[in-house]
Amino acid sequence: MRSRTLWTVAVGAVPWAMACGSSVPPPHDQWAEAEANLGRAQVAGAPDVPVAKLHMRLAQEDLQKAKELMDQDNKRAASLSALANSEAQLALSLAKAAASQDEARKAEFELQYPNTSNK
Amino acid sequence: MNPRYTAIVAVTVLAGAAACSGQRMPPKALVDARADYFRAKDGPAMQLDPTHVHEAEIALDRAEHAWQESPSDPTAIDLAMIADRKALLAEAEAATIQAQREIARARDQIEVNKTSELKTAKGALNQTQQALGQTQMQLQDQERQTATLEAKLREARDTIAKIASVKDDERGMVITLPGEVLYKTGSWDLKPAAMAKLEEIARVLKDKEQPIVVYGFTDSVGTRDNNMSLSQKRASAVRDYLVGKGVPQDLVTAQGKGPEDPVADNNSVEGRAQNRRVEIVVQPKH
Repeated sequence: MRSRTLWTVAVGAVPWAMACGSSVPPPHDQWAEAEANLGRAQVAGAPDVPVAKLHMRLAQEDLQKAKELMDQDNKRAASLSALANSEAQLALSLAKAAASQDEARKAEFELQYPNTSNK
Repeated sequence: MNPRYTAIVAVTVLAGAAACSGQRMPPKALVDARADYFRAKDGPAMQLDPTHVHEAEIALDRAEHAWQESPSDPTAIDLAMIADRKALLAEAEAATIQAQREIARARDQIEVNKTSELKTAKGALNQTQQALGQTQMQLQDQERQTATLEAKLREARDTIAKIASVKDDERGMVITLPGEVLYKTGSWDLKPAAMAKLEEIARVLKDKEQPIVVYGFTDSVGTRDNNMSLSQKRASAVRDYLVGKGVPQDLVTAQGKGPEDPVADNNSVEGRAQNRRVEIVVQPKH
């Protein structure tokens, strides 16, 4: 009687455990979003801004790790995809800030020296 | 179990847990996230881009909570790093906003300066145009005066040409009168017929306000001194007559040149007659 009960519990636990293991779906959308933001940072000139370039590289590494973990550890893959997305967004912001600051310097120069071309 | 032993075990476990909890150091990622968040919160990002600072705060709370719940879970580190990146992003966005404001301010000022410069340039242009207009009017007046003078001069020349020989050379307009017409031989007294001619010439020249030089010439017969003296006296006689008829005295001078500058051969009667002459030179007005 006792062993029969144990067997029943064991058989019931297998699908439950499988269901738990696959409760986090593979984060394809998050991964794709991070990759898209990485592309935006690239277009915005992040590779030309050292600190932005560093965060682009970190994003690429996180994306690579997330890809390797996909379907094996989806929770971690999702976490890394989110981190990669943050890195990519930061790279984009840093690139935009650098471009704006450069433009501000040029505008100030033009204001101070109106008859000189700094282009 | 003996209740006494149970109490001892419980106290030991709680104390150990408390000790462990107290000694647990936050991971570097979380320490960095806290520092970067507080720097953003206390810096210009809070004024310029509070939304992103708020997002960083939420991310930091989530990271703190994850670390409290599962300090060994690598996703807790990921969350801490995400919170850190959001704080940095808030600062970067604030820097962009600040730079855009500086660009707008500089461009506005450039526009103001350009407008001011344009206004100044327009003012200067107006002044130059006014000055140019005045100069053009003056020039037109001068041209009118010159045209009037030239017309009068032509008229005078035409009038004089009827009674004497008139030509132009580098000295100006030259009126030549033969000596025989003006004087008796060896004299400097003007003949009545000469006076009539000179009166007509004086009438034409008296309003010209141009310098006039009367030159007297002789032929080569006789001594040079006598000829020089005679030519000076004859030139002076003509000058005095012209002045007497209204030509301004300060504009007329007389000069005897004797036998100099002959216009014909002194070896013939006709040539000598041509050389005995008076030239009234009307010089150009300076």
